[in-house]
Amino acid sequence: MKERSIFIIIVLSIILIGIGLFVATQADLSFLLPEEASAESVLIDGLFRMLMGIATVVFLLVEGVLLYTVIRFRRKPGEEGDGKPVHGNNTLEIVWTIIPAIIVAVIGVYSYQVLTIIEQPREDPLVVQIIGRQFSWEYIYPESRISSGVMHLPVDRPVQFQIESKDVIHSFWVPAFRLKQDATPGQIDEFFITPTKIGRYPIRCAELCGAAHAAMVSEVVVQSKEDFEAWLEAGGTALSPPSMEETSSQPSPGESGTAPDTSSEEVQAQGRALFIELGCGACHMLADAGGAGAVGPPLDGIASIADTRVDGMDAHSYILKSIINPDDHVVEGFPPGLMPKDYGDRISEEKNELLVKYLLSQ
Amino acid sequence: MGTHATGYKDPFNSGKALGLNHTKLGMWLFLASEVMFFGGLLSAFLHYRVSAPAPVEDALLDITLVGINTFILLTSSFTVVLGFGSIQAGNVKRLGFFLGATIVLGVLFLSGQVYEFYSLTQEGLTLTSSVFGSSFYTLTGFHGLHVFVGILWASYVLLGALRGKYSSESTIGVEVFGLYWHFVDIVWIVLFTLIYLI
Amino acid sequence: MSVQAEAMGQKPTWRKYLSWNTDHKVIGVQYIVTTFLFFVIGGALAMVIRAELAQPGSDIVNGVEYNRLLTNHGSVMIFLWIIPIMAGFANYVLPLMIGAQDMAFPNLNALSFWLIPPAGIIMMTSFFVGAAESGWTTYVPLSLTAPFGQTLWAVSVLLLGMSSIIGAVNFVTTTLTMRTKGMGFWDMPLFVWSMLATSLMILIATPMLTAGLVLIAMDRVVGTLFFVVQAGGDPIFWQNIFWFYSHPAVYIMILPAMGIISEVIPVFSRKPIFGYKAIAISSMAISILGLLVWAHHMFTSGMNPALRVPYMITSMIIAVPTGIKIFSWLATMWDGKLELKTPMLFAIGFLAMFLIGGLTGIFLAAIPIDLHVHDTYFVVAHLHYVLFGGSVSAVYAGLYYWFPKITGRKYNEPLGKAHFWMNFIGANLTYLPLFLAGLLGMPRRVADYSPEFATANMLATIGAIILGASTLPFLYNAIVSWARGPKAGDNPWRALTLEWTTTSPPPENNFDSPPVLTHGPYDYGDPIVQLENQTS
Repeated sequence: MKERSIFIIIVLSIILIGIGLFVATQADLSFLLPEEASAESVLIDGLFRMLMGIATVVFLLVEGVLLYTVIRFRRKPGEEGDGKPVHGNNTLEIVWTIIPAIIVAVIGVYSYQVLTIIEQPREDPLVVQIIGRQFSWEYIYPESRISSGVMHLPVDRPVQFQIESKDVIHSFWVPAFRLKQDATPGQIDEFFITPTKIGRYPIRCAELCGAAHAAMVSEVVVQSKEDFEAWLEAGGTALSPPSMEETSSQPSPGESGTAPDTSSEEVQAQGRALFIELGCGACHMLADAGGAGAVGPPLDGIASIADTRVDGMDAHSYILKSIINPDDHVVEGFPPGLMPKDYGDRISEEKNELLVKYLLSQ
Repeated sequence: MGTHATGYKDPFNSGKALGLNHTKLGMWLFLASEVMFFGGLLSAFLHYRVSAPAPVEDALLDITLVGINTFILLTSSFTVVLGFGSIQAGNVKRLGFFLGATIVLGVLFLSGQVYEFYSLTQEGLTLTSSVFGSSFYTLTGFHGLHVFVGILWASYVLLGALRGKYSSESTIGVEVFGLYWHFVDIVWIVLFTLIYLI
Repeated sequence: MSVQAEAMGQKPTWRKYLSWNTDHKVIGVQYIVTTFLFFVIGGALAMVIRAELAQPGSDIVNGVEYNRLLTNHGSVMIFLWIIPIMAGFANYVLPLMIGAQDMAFPNLNALSFWLIPPAGIIMMTSFFVGAAESGWTTYVPLSLTAPFGQTLWAVSVLLLGMSSIIGAVNFVTTTLTMRTKGMGFWDMPLFVWSMLATSLMILIATPMLTAGLVLIAMDRVVGTLFFVVQAGGDPIFWQNIFWFYSHPAVYIMILPAMGIISEVIPVFSRKPIFGYKAIAISSMAISILGLLVWAHHMFTSGMNPALRVPYMITSMIIAVPTGIKIFSWLATMWDGKLELKTPMLFAIGFLAMFLIGGLTGIFLAAIPIDLHVHDTYFVVAHLHYVLFGGSVSAVYAGLYYWFPKITGRKYNEPLGKAHFWMNFIGANLTYLPLFLAGLLGMPRRVADYSPEFATANMLATIGAIILGASTLPFLYNAIVSWARGPKAGDNPWRALTLEWTTTSPPPENNFDSPPVLTHGPYDYGDPIVQLENQTS
């Protein structure tokens, strides 16, 4: 090969490798990804950076050669004849087999190392059970015996998730944590996370689960240890339905958390919070609580029509019945069998009462 | 525009160099795909036998009855071999005899299966009684369906034989039928072993 | 009408395309026209999807309708467009390329085509009786409770699988037993190699899908318990049996495309294909490896975690033969005398876009990264880069390349170039932003999304409009040129494979006498061949 060609190849290689190293180590790729809110996200982003470095080099190399070729070797007007009868070049072919093989091997090894770290069991984790249903998530803290529709986690403490579905396959994904795990009916799967940044992060369902798949969103609140403990004690939605291991026919052993206040403002606030947490808005429109779903009947103005729906049934009874036995009086035009039937079991009587009172003000 | 000539007057057959007859090759390729189909149903059966075992229903299976049935099917493969040997030697009458025997044995096998299915359903093992039931009947049922198709095919070949379609020079039709029938038999041996014996 | 028929003063022969005809050339055209119709239908579904996703909020369709749109868009594109059009190309071109008069089993060939229109009608009908709405991946338990259309969908796919399998039996038998004298395996055109590798996968993988669909259909119709969780049914078993087919399916969709690219690039570079043997062997390697990677679709499923690693390894290894092909194509073009006609433009577009699809595939193979991007728009972008940027570009390259051979006429070149540019710009504008949406947190199969993804989605919708419009110059070109384009002659591209040694279109029996090979399929630049071509 000509000396000039070798020189050009060397110079271009150095430039390309330089670009690759820059992308993999120095460049700010944060615009491509959500914020890093877990220990695992840092590891995964590191792997991502390395792959971006390699991909950038390969991309520039191949597209560059392609572009150059198309411009430089185009047949000029009036030019006759064909190209050179070159069928191959053993050296070149060996080189472009071996180098990609090595690159792929390196990527494989690095990926395996990251995977091993992510998968390893943690010491003294906080156990959180995740239950997926059409179309909301429920989080159970077995040690503290509470359930919630919003996930709270203490910062810097490893969490052991145990995830299951009660109906179809869902997928629990926190983009800021970079981890995702399917919720499959009939089995419980485990995975670990260590949140490292205080803040609120969206949770999205990532497996098509039916009509309101897009609306199956939730939130994880990472807090300081003190704030988290306060929430466990009394804040938000502390209640004690049976955890996953217990049967649901037993009455709740004891209530923790505040009983619903009788003042109507408190009822509004707490009822609204409960409505939001349980994800009712994924299927029911309710302006006051930001519900925008159209899977089930809209609830705006429910208070004024609830007593007209079934003969002999007053508004209070009708609304309560619709929550705990939803298939009894399905509104015309809406499909039966979609609304979860276990609100009577997994939510305490007091909480259901709170919901009814809230809806009676809408 | 129905028919269309294939092959030149003096075509070069690259298959000959490889020792391949195109009809037989086609049948082998088709059978390869059938192996994968049964593989799918079999993997369902085996998976669920491990993940959702049903010892009570498993014990209802009658190895003796089905063992006899298996012997019948094996014999039918033997008659196919004898039939093919007959036509290779030019004996159309004997081919017809052995094809007839194959059909009879095939019908016997199917009857045995129907009887087996009937008695099992009487004892509570049905398509919908358990995952075991679902996978058992689906797997053996599809095999039975393939036996049924084989019987129809055997009848078609028998008809052809009676009409003088085959001779010692023209045996390919019998041979590919034989390939199919042997395949169905081999699948049954695998099924019998994995479902009843293990 | 065809050039010869016109010359002989015959009546129009288009009627033969509507009948049971055993001529592989007629069947090939039947395949191509029918599948293109489904491409347009699948594209129309995509346009509604992109209209809905142009802005956040539920604008045009509700959640249920949206799920039906996305399910049928994917199903139509995969089962009624890409997989069968590759069979259509092979039908037309393969016998000609090996010097045969037809396929080994002409009646089976006609059957494999005629399974498609009823299957397509059944899938379209399913829309009106409660369509399939669980994604083309039909995960259980969701698909068990879907309305009746889901069962019709399964029947349709079963028929299409049978068509595919029968076709594969035909292609392999034809290739192994009907090559003309002197054409050993290392003398076959690479498109033939690619169909051999594809057919191997079809024969081994498709029947698994058949079995799986039977299980789902029985659960839905008869009440069996294969996927009923309370009875011990296992949703992950469905995923295994489904992906055992559906991963090879994507190689079934890309290998013939790569075969077409291997044909087009040497002709328009006027140079032999670089690394012929390596490309042929890579095709077979991809075929075999492709049967061993399927669980990379299941990394987050709850499958045995330890088993994930072998699938990561096989999925990464497959990058090597793929890379060999890309480099070989580039080396073919290097130092050639490039003629940038429309087929070559689409081949170049293929290289540019397939590269992006392939590179992002490596990201997906790395399990830790997949845990973040699985089931997000990152995957949607990846698959469209390989299937649209890759396979569809190659299909267009093939359509323009073999247009003169099939119709006997030349298409309009400026219209072809306009089509290419609209397609290239539209495709990149549509799919590139979607990578970002996925990385930043947008899941797949959602009728609505958080406002932070609005810009990416608006760009994608604009790109989709350009893409949709780009089919118009193509359709106009194809129809008008077929009707009254200028005559093309036997070999307008001065190509060296056997189909160009006969008339355009070929006579009923392809060649008057068995072709005699005097050179290899890619011997451009060879002085003896150049001499021959000048006198022909």
